[in-house]
This record gives sequence, structure tokens and C-alpha cells, in this order.
Amino acid sequence: MRSKAPATLALLLAALNCVALPVGAQTSVQAPTAPPITATGKLAATDGKVWGALVYAVADKSKLTGATEKAPDLIPDLAERLAKAFPFTDFEILGQHTQDVFREYESWVVPSPELFLKVDSKGPADGGGLNLHLQFWRQQKVLVKTDTILRTGSPLFIRGPKWRDGQLIFILALKSVGGK
Amino acid sequence: MKTPPEDHDLIRWLDDEMTAAERTAFEARLAADPVLKAEAEEMRQISLSVRSHLPKEMPVPHPDFFNSQIQVRIEQMELEDRRASARPAAAGSIFSSLWMRLLAPVAAIAMVAVGWMTLRTSTASGSVVVSVYAPDPKVQATAVENVDAQATVLLLEGLEAMPADQNVAGLTVHHAETDSQLATTTLYDGAGQVLLVMGKDARNQPLIFSHGSPRG
Repeated sequence: MRSKAPATLALLLAALNCVALPVGAQTSVQAPTAPPITATGKLAATDGKVWGALVYAVADKSKLTGATEKAPDLIPDLAERLAKAFPFTDFEILGQHTQDVFREYESWVVPSPELFLKVDSKGPADGGGLNLHLQFWRQQKVLVKTDTILRTGSPLFIRGPKWRDGQLIFILALKSVGGK
Repeated sequence: MKTPPEDHDLIRWLDDEMTAAERTAFEARLAADPVLKAEAEEMRQISLSVRSHLPKEMPVPHPDFFNSQIQVRIEQMELEDRRASARPAAAGSIFSSLWMRLLAPVAAIAMVAVGWMTLRTSTASGSVVVSVYAPDPKVQATAVENVDAQATVLLLEGLEAMPADQNVAGLTVHHAETDSQLATTTLYDGAGQVLLVMGKDARNQPLIFSHGSPRG
């Protein structure tokens, strides 16, 4: 999983991207990605910061995988709250990712390469929080698209696919609003 | 102060639901009551203004948009009903009721015109799912607010299960860097090691590179 050559990976990715379609077709389908620099050469504004996690939920503790990730203080009593929303008793965090959310550009929240989110900010929401367009992906298939107002202290739980003896749940929580 | 029957008459007058005799009698009352007349005129102007600012057509974002939004709206109305039944009636509820009844037809027109795109409730203090759409017709997406869990829950029914022998790898992402020229995002762990590189292919599908090879 580890590599010391990010530039090589990035170049390989870019090369693959460039040869996939003729130039004309490529430019017609490419959406803006998540650069820190806008088309006008300015740094992209940061609308906020989100925390995403992939959770494995089971009704039998012996079925857990043994993952040892700890939840941040962002959501107190996370396991208790999950137990109120889903018919499971035991939960473990498989992966987690805290990510800046850029205005006008997409951001990726990837606690796992299997299930991840694309996040586009539409700016601050009335009454607090952020207006977000979310796409929940399972590898290369988008499972759901949603426009959501995400507010601090009120996470979004996405019930994902079943896996083994339990369920995969994606959590998205707003950590802060505004720039760094 | 207006009494409930006056509220009712005012709404019927604004909605043009009175008979000729009723309208004549009510307008005579308006002429004799400057306060009632001023309020009736104000409401009529607001109603006309709202209607005039509504777009006649809006593009439908996707084929199943209306079904998904109706489902979301039903969930929200059920939640609002539960909340309303749990709290005592507020002072001034007669006036609130009048405004709600007055604006209900206008709101209905607005909902149809914009396809329930503005569903957010002003009273909500938590997260709100405004719209939801599952491209796969076998998948049903439903959003509910779970008050006990203090969370909004997005339920996806009909998803294909992950194979039991598939390893669902978790990552602990410490930070990410984006490259505007290569259109990639590189994810790092706490030690500064690369976990994976994220990008998109020419069809706008996500591409993930880990172990030096693309996934997806």
C-alpha cells in the first residue's frame, strides 16, 4: 500500500488519462477536478473540513475484523448513535479521512478504495453548515447522488452494502466551516 | 385583531372562491375596516409577487427525480408532524395558520415548478438531505432524520452485497494534496507516505492507483 514515488504514480495516471480518448473527446467530458489553483490562477477557497469514515457493523462482536481505528472527538458516542440508527450492536472503523472541501472544485473523501465520496461544495448554508453535492462511489460505480446540507454535530450516515456478517456504513461529518 | 372566520373569508376572497353576493358583502367590510383592508391588500401583493417570480419551467435533473423527491418530502412531512405533535401550540398560531393556508397554493405551485428542489426546512438545526438520486433503478434511496441518533440517515436498498472474500481495505488518511495540472489527488498517511493517488479517467470515472497499478 505504501509508495515513495507519488510523482511517478501521478504521471502514470495522467498518461493513462490522456491516451484514453482523443484530445477533442477528452476535453469535452473532463470536469474540473480538485486543484488548489483556480482557472484564474488563484488558490481555491476552502469552504470547510469534513471527516469521513467507513464503518463495519455487526450484531456479533466475534465477527469484527479487529480494526483498531479510533473515532475522533468530533462525534461523541459514535457507537451508541450508530446503534440507534442501525440494527447492530458492534461497530469498528475500517478507515477514516479528514479532507478540506474546496469551493468550485471536487474533493475526495477516501477512507477505503472500495467505498468513497466525491464532495463538491456549493458554499455555506443558511443557518450554518455547508451545502454539498455528494456522490457515493463503490469503486467505479456511483451508488447515489445527493444534495445535502451538512451541519456540525449532525453526521450523515449512509447505509452501504452488506459485507460478510454485517453492513458497511459510511459516515460523513462536518468538522469545521470556513478556511484554514 | 381578526377572528378565524375573518381569516377564512380573507383566504376565500384572495383565492377568488366567493360567490358574487359573498364578495360584495366582504368588500363592504373591507371598505369599513381600514386595518383589514390594508392587510388584505398586503397579502394580495405578496401572493402576486411570489407567483410572478416563479419560473414556468425547470429542467428535470434526472429521470427519477420526482419519485425520489416525493419520497424525501414524505419523510420530512412525517418528521415535521411528529415534531409538531410533540410541542405545545405556540402563541399566535391563528396568524401562523392563516399565512400557511394563504401561501399553501403558492407553495404548491412553487414545488411543482422547481421539482421539490428547495425542500430544506428552515427549522432544521441538523443536517438535511435536500435531494437524492440512485442511478441504478434497482437501488432505492431514502433519507430519514433519526432524532435519537442525532443524525441524518441515507438508506440504500437493493445494493449488491460485497463478496465475503473481498478485502475491504481501510485507509487512515492524514492529508491530501492536489495537482492542478495532472488533475490528481494524492493521499498520505501520518508518516508522509503515499497511500494512493486518485484521479479520473476520460469518462469522468474515478481512477485509484495503489501498489503502482490502477483499480476500478
